[in-house]
Amino acid sequence: MAAEANAKTTIVAGGTKKAGAFNRFDNPWLNWKFLAGVSILGIIFFLIFLGNTFWDTSLALNASAPLNLPPYGMEYQKGKNTILVGVPEHPLGTENSGRDMLALLIVGTPRTLGVGAIAASVGMLVGIFLGFLAGFLGGWIDDVIRLATDITITIPSLLVLIVIQSVLGSVDLITMALLISMFAWATPTRYIRAQVLSMRESGYVQMARLSGVPVRDIMFKEIMPNLLPYLAASYIGNMTGAIISAVGLEVLGFGPQRIPSLGVAIFFSIEAAALLRHMWWWWGIPTVILAIVFIALLLINLGLDEIANPRLRKAN
Amino acid sequence: MKARSILFVLLVVMFAAISFTAVAQDVAREDTVIFDIDGPAGAVANFDQMNYMLPNNHRNKGLHQAVAEPLFILNYETGEIMPWLAESMTSNDTLDVWTLNLREGAEWADGHPFDSGDVVFSIDLLLNDETASLNYAGNVQTWIESVEAVDDLTVQFNLTQPNPRFQLDFFSVRIWGGINMLPEHVWADKDPYTFNNFDPEQGWPMGTGPYVLTSANETTWVYDRNDDWWGAKTGVFKLPEPQRALWVVTGNDQIRTTMAVANELDSIMDVTLGAFEAMQAQNDNIFAWVEGMPFVWLDPCPRQLSFQTQRAPWDNPEMRWAINHAISRDQVIEIAYEGVTIPSRTLYVEYGAMFPFIDAIEDAGMAFDSDSDLDAAAALLEKNGYSLNDDGRWVDGDGNALSLEIQVHEGFIEKRRITTNLVEQLQRFGIDARAAVIAGPTWGDNKRFGNYEATTDWDACGSINEPWASLDRYTARWWVPLGERSSGSNHVRWDGMNNEAYSELVGQLGSLPLGHPDSIDLVVEAYRYLYEDLPFIPLNQATKLIPFNSTYWDGWPTSENNWNHPATWWQSTHQFFQEITKAGM
Repeated sequence: MAAEANAKTTIVAGGTKKAGAFNRFDNPWLNWKFLAGVSILGIIFFLIFLGNTFWDTSLALNASAPLNLPPYGMEYQKGKNTILVGVPEHPLGTENSGRDMLALLIVGTPRTLGVGAIAASVGMLVGIFLGFLAGFLGGWIDDVIRLATDITITIPSLLVLIVIQSVLGSVDLITMALLISMFAWATPTRYIRAQVLSMRESGYVQMARLSGVPVRDIMFKEIMPNLLPYLAASYIGNMTGAIISAVGLEVLGFGPQRIPSLGVAIFFSIEAAALLRHMWWWWGIPTVILAIVFIALLLINLGLDEIANPRLRKAN
Repeated sequence: MKARSILFVLLVVMFAAISFTAVAQDVAREDTVIFDIDGPAGAVANFDQMNYMLPNNHRNKGLHQAVAEPLFILNYETGEIMPWLAESMTSNDTLDVWTLNLREGAEWADGHPFDSGDVVFSIDLLLNDETASLNYAGNVQTWIESVEAVDDLTVQFNLTQPNPRFQLDFFSVRIWGGINMLPEHVWADKDPYTFNNFDPEQGWPMGTGPYVLTSANETTWVYDRNDDWWGAKTGVFKLPEPQRALWVVTGNDQIRTTMAVANELDSIMDVTLGAFEAMQAQNDNIFAWVEGMPFVWLDPCPRQLSFQTQRAPWDNPEMRWAINHAISRDQVIEIAYEGVTIPSRTLYVEYGAMFPFIDAIEDAGMAFDSDSDLDAAAALLEKNGYSLNDDGRWVDGDGNALSLEIQVHEGFIEKRRITTNLVEQLQRFGIDARAAVIAGPTWGDNKRFGNYEATTDWDACGSINEPWASLDRYTARWWVPLGERSSGSNHVRWDGMNNEAYSELVGQLGSLPLGHPDSIDLVVEAYRYLYEDLPFIPLNQATKLIPFNSTYWDGWPTSENNWNHPATWWQSTHQFFQEITKAGM
């Protein structure tokens, strides 16, 4: 049956070809969504690199610049009688604690991404470990892990995180990431377990078992490589969720206050009524950057989904 | 700290809208006055804690402004102590027996007479509080030997020692509030340590004021006018014009500004200059104490950085002085206040009545510089075994970085902005400073139990027109060991030889009648010990930018119409209800 299916003729851009014939453009990694997302993130990282190289990032700290300046080339009516004019020394303007907005973006964007990356990494590692254990070993281990997963998924994580951070006060980004990761393992565990359950019955796994390959090697040397695209997609999804949680906490005022991330910048702007003060650059620019980051992550996630799932790819 | 999200912004506005819609069904907006009050947006968990006696109660959510009347109110503008629930209070020549005369006809909201029995009951409750944990219990036990009812309207206080400020300090809303009198017929069978004093159906909290609490939730406290109020019945006061008064927790400037511009607030608590400018730009009816810059009223509680003086390395006065030298007060003002205040020269508020004392301290060379002196700071650190490492950080002999955690109350933007700037200044100097933003009740407990390194507070607050009250807060009589709950005064646990000498002098100062010619010399002499040990660092004068909205109500206090100060979270707000009138009437 498989051979018959492979022999079917497939319509492709530019004409028809025999399925199964070598075509370098068949490479599933050349997925436009994936590439677009990676490119956007790449551009962001490149700009951050440029910023760190050519801009004084210490301007992101309190009392480093004149207050409340609009972006260069613009004017800002402050109160009834004062007009502030943007200056080239602060091209994206400043806020009311004397932070330069450009420096704040250069410093804040990687910090925001970093929280997501750390939380997602920890969550994924735990998820992979537990998911494989539960899916492959089954039995009471599966029951316990499944129960813990189901319980954790039902907990409203943001509320719990708010309570925890209220007690701890403002925390550094690593601590925040670790707190978020306390809830970031459950969903990957569930999905990985499901994948492993189906793979456990596949022929090559059965063969490995019969050949006496140790369980650990079967899990991590046989099954895991086949799951890599799926794990990558799951990781990106997890990272997006972690960033959303982190930004949520930061906008609530729980983030590190000295060196702001994007969420903390938005928190400061809310607290100081920037919206009503018409200081759009203060809340608007971090919001746009966050939106771009989320779009990039979404594209990567969709792309990886298609890479990992041939049916999805075919449907598109 | 503390929810301040966009979601909560929406929730609070929604809650406020719901609350207002609900009340608007029976009382029109134009008959309702709405006050903004501090608190975490949308999340005042124990909103029904109305027991004035317990810490962390919510008496400033309208309870002490509209229900619980003070005996007297200090008029900041004239210096006069105005009779309110009481008629007068006089002392004997030796200042250790004070006689209080109550008003005839004063009643609780349920019609029960307010008399000397209630006063004696309230004071005895505090005198007999063995834990001294009830609010004011420490002060009452220090100063009052006994209290007795001479007749229904006369009460005699026998003091433990002469106190020329007895009436001013405890019964006159000198700052924020004072000792509240309790209805004996309600409280007699209640446990003051657990009673929450909240049951609107039973008329609790029971007060003598012109309003009664009718409902409350996490964001809004609703008070309706008692048309049978004793003040109006007896003709002593007029019946307030607002039929209903609301206190709404808004949480941050964004919400305050939104609601004020939409005329959903008549009185707005302290805001930043930027928020005020935004309000004014969008609503012509919004104004503040002063018409132009800096708009502000000087709050009587200057801001300071306090150290827990038992905790190394900050138990060393030279280390505290190093921090003082490392701080630029000018920068705190420029950044945290956007320029709208002045630095503190001493621990005192810069009111006219305090100038003789402030000037004398300055003449004695003990006024603080407004700018930093980093060389002096470095010299002190080096003298104490610290050195700058290659990264520009101060480290001790073992290479451990010098760090300082500054705790700050999460509910106040102003104090957080001060702390953020202090942290930045210290970081730039090479000290690993960090701000710990802490929920209000925890912050308060940490302070009282001494669980902190440093904290941004206002605890030298006290003196308005005499020098003793602020100094007394750091005397040995308030000292308690670490781990025990302090009364709030001397929570920094300042002790030692200098404190003993200081306490002795402050004690002498306290026994002098107000305005005594020896008081200035005593202040300077005592201050020398405080200045040397520096258990706290005075930073800057506190200013309050308090907007009012004249869309529905007129008569708000301004520097021109200065019938009293504009702090609407104080118990003196009772006077507001006598002054505000319907707009355009």
